[in-house]
Amino acid sequence: MSDLQNSAPAARPEIRVEGAVKSFSGRVVVDVDELVLGDQPIEGLIGPNGAGKTTLMRMIMHSTPLDRGRISMHPDGPGGEEIVLSDLPTFAMAGRGLVKSNQVIMDFDRLTIWDSLLFAVAGARCERPYRVFAEHDLFDAHEDEIRGYLAYFGFTDPMGFAQSAGEKKLLDIVRCLLLKPRFLMLDEPTAGLPDELTEKVMDKIRELAAAGTAVVIVEHDLNVIWSLCDQVHFMAEGSVILRGTSEEIRAHKTVVEKYLGEGHV
Amino acid sequence: MVSRVRTSVATVTELFARRPWTQWIAILAAGTLALSLIGGGSFLGKSVVIGLTQHAPLVLAAMGFALLYRLTGLINVAYSETLTWGAYIGWWFNTSLGWNFYASLLPAGLLAGALSVATYLAIFRPAKQRNMGALEMIIMSFGLSILLRYSFQFVFGYPVRFYDVTTSTTARVLGVGVSSFRLLALASVLILAVALYLFIQKSTYGLQIRALASDEDLAQVSGIRPLFVTSLIWFIAGVAGGLAGAFYGVGSNVAYLLGWRQFLFIFLVVMVGGRKSIGGVIIAGIATGIAWAAMNLRLSQTLYAQLVLIVAFIVILKVRGRRTAETGKV
Amino acid sequence: MNLNWLDAFLITGLFSVFMVIGLALLLHLQMGLARIANFGVVGFWGLGMYVYGVLYVQVDWPFDDPWRFLLSALAGVVAAGISGLLVGWLIADLDEDGVLLGTFGFATIVWILATTETALTKGALGLGGLQFPYRLGNAKQNEALWLLILIVVVALIMLYVWRVHRSPYGRLLVAVGGNEPLAQSLGKPAFRTKLGVFTVGAAGMGLLGVMYGVLERFLETSNLGVDLTLAAVVGLVVGGTARLWGPVVGVALTVGLFDIVIQSYIPLPKSWYGQAIPVLREMVFGAVLIGILLFRPLGILGDMRRDKLMRSMHGE
Repeated sequence: MSDLQNSAPAARPEIRVEGAVKSFSGRVVVDVDELVLGDQPIEGLIGPNGAGKTTLMRMIMHSTPLDRGRISMHPDGPGGEEIVLSDLPTFAMAGRGLVKSNQVIMDFDRLTIWDSLLFAVAGARCERPYRVFAEHDLFDAHEDEIRGYLAYFGFTDPMGFAQSAGEKKLLDIVRCLLLKPRFLMLDEPTAGLPDELTEKVMDKIRELAAAGTAVVIVEHDLNVIWSLCDQVHFMAEGSVILRGTSEEIRAHKTVVEKYLGEGHV
Repeated sequence: MVSRVRTSVATVTELFARRPWTQWIAILAAGTLALSLIGGGSFLGKSVVIGLTQHAPLVLAAMGFALLYRLTGLINVAYSETLTWGAYIGWWFNTSLGWNFYASLLPAGLLAGALSVATYLAIFRPAKQRNMGALEMIIMSFGLSILLRYSFQFVFGYPVRFYDVTTSTTARVLGVGVSSFRLLALASVLILAVALYLFIQKSTYGLQIRALASDEDLAQVSGIRPLFVTSLIWFIAGVAGGLAGAFYGVGSNVAYLLGWRQFLFIFLVVMVGGRKSIGGVIIAGIATGIAWAAMNLRLSQTLYAQLVLIVAFIVILKVRGRRTAETGKV
Repeated sequence: MNLNWLDAFLITGLFSVFMVIGLALLLHLQMGLARIANFGVVGFWGLGMYVYGVLYVQVDWPFDDPWRFLLSALAGVVAAGISGLLVGWLIADLDEDGVLLGTFGFATIVWILATTETALTKGALGLGGLQFPYRLGNAKQNEALWLLILIVVVALIMLYVWRVHRSPYGRLLVAVGGNEPLAQSLGKPAFRTKLGVFTVGAAGMGLLGVMYGVLERFLETSNLGVDLTLAAVVGLVVGGTARLWGPVVGVALTVGLFDIVIQSYIPLPKSWYGQAIPVLREMVFGAVLIGILLFRPLGILGDMRRDKLMRSMHGE
């Protein structure tokens, strides 16, 4: 491993959620007392609809402000430097390695697939108003990497626009991967994707986690969760009520009653 | 000591949050205090009297604009032209047909309302049906404003026009001489403003209008005819604009730039005072008028007052915008 | 060189056409790519013009042209750029309403200051005493050369915009304009990006203002009305807000048609020129703006084609 990184591999980053509360027009949507994400390489966040999973993710990204509480990130693992996420401007999160994919489809209508991916990898230095000749340096530096992803996922016309909802969803994920996140949150990454692409996405996630990135997945397709996650958090009514390995969670009585229903397992 | 200040600040902030109108009272009280501290009682009186008599039409115009802005979400730059149109119509009835000024308000208001509805049906409604973006909508209303403004100039000619009103006796109010005509005009503007306010707050149509503003689908389900009610909103806004224009015209003169000159200030008053309520527009309009008059009394050039107003309003918007900026993220 | 075909009228007409093309190109960066409206074009332009004019005339320079001109012009451009930075800072996190207010309010402030500060600007009387930074011979030759220099400047602006389309910076502008939250989540500072495009655009507009001041040699506050903003907006919207050639096509079809073809080559009754023509021009511009936005909102040239652009750049 040590030949891949400058020194010894840095510890996995972690995110601490402490006493975070959010309510919309009087109804408490999220009320998480204490939650640590990033213990294990890949963690899942599951729960019935309306449990507050997406809201919690948005609160971590500070795109939904907290009513109360504190969410912080330790990029070098517990005990290292601490960043209070609500102090960071939105755009600075990606710079600190914290990246989230979107549940609903988000795209740039006027940008092609290549555009979109080159945009994701471009650093601030080549995007200054006077750097009008920087395109070829940027392209040369990232061509192989991007071509790799395009071939791997099999985009039909990468010089054109993303056509289907599935392509846009994949594009969103590839953009996140290109940012080389240290802490990656995926909100229903495989929703609407055919099985073979779901497999490919899962493989990429495993690869990423093995290289030291902490991954948190919200997903309705439980097969993805069971096969991917080293640890699963179960959320209901705004709180995390259980955590354990996939086997522990899927065997737990409350989960079965509240969420899975009889005969699912 | 510090903690006592802190608790009283907290109490006041809470009061403002619970009862928004107390903010406006506090602003007016602070303004009154500031004016009397600067120039004593007579300065205060002068500012209030001149501010109200000269800038009362601003209140009326801003209410019409706010009605459109809040209920249809549209920044209609061409709204300023309903003022010009109303001023020209009133002037024409007043001078060519010899109507009394107050009688000529009737055609001025009605025809301005008609112009407003016509622009809605011919331009803004089709644009909305084509899902035009907010930016394009503003540019288009800018184009409409230009088209109307120069058409008026083409039709009504280049000379500056004056209403024919005989200035009668002069009354003394708070130590300032004001012609009785101006006082009557002020009273009429305020009555119209209050009537408009009550109409929106109380009447059945007012209720329908407010329902439409909060939820168009719901309004349709509950039996409101959206096309009729929306046209009505445009009509009322146009009437308010046309009357304001006629009052501006009689206060000074009529020219093709009459409405355009006021547009920035109407817009500023609505953005600062009218985000939440029509009542806020009235207060903001009055406060602006008085501040304007006070600055004109003190500053060496009249344009400086406009300068200060523009800068002050933009700063207010910036400070407020920062606070709401959090909501627009992924 | 025989310049008989080029009368003073045509020089002014061509100058205004190329100047408005330049303004529309800069507006294209702000409005077409980054999707921030700028209703204060004339403010940045006028600020550049007046800062240059006041410095050139009122300062007791120890040296003469071209340094006197170059320093005054540079100050005009820098002042416009700084004002762009300031206005950008005010409006970059506001919505369309706030942007309209901020930019339009700024243009009004520039007009107010030019009118009130008579000690510096001579106010409504107009500021004279400007001259070309060179002496060639007769007035027409001077003006013709200045027109040529303007054309070069506008060509350079166009070259810059052309490069922006083909650079990561252009992609950033399109992305921030298209989906600001998504761009932010990918680590792009939207606020700073808008500040940048406003500053660059304003400085360019200021430069065009300086150049206009030199040609006119007499600065009047009546130039600071809304007409110039209208001309740039109409030209851009007619041609196509999102296209490089949009400003050229649009301005040629609007300002070019009116200020050159109709005014110079179509025999109209003499009495029309003073009053009727300018009024008709504005009326037509307003109507065209409405018509284009209703029936062809992306202008004659349509939307940008990044797919074609990418293929031509990185081919397959």
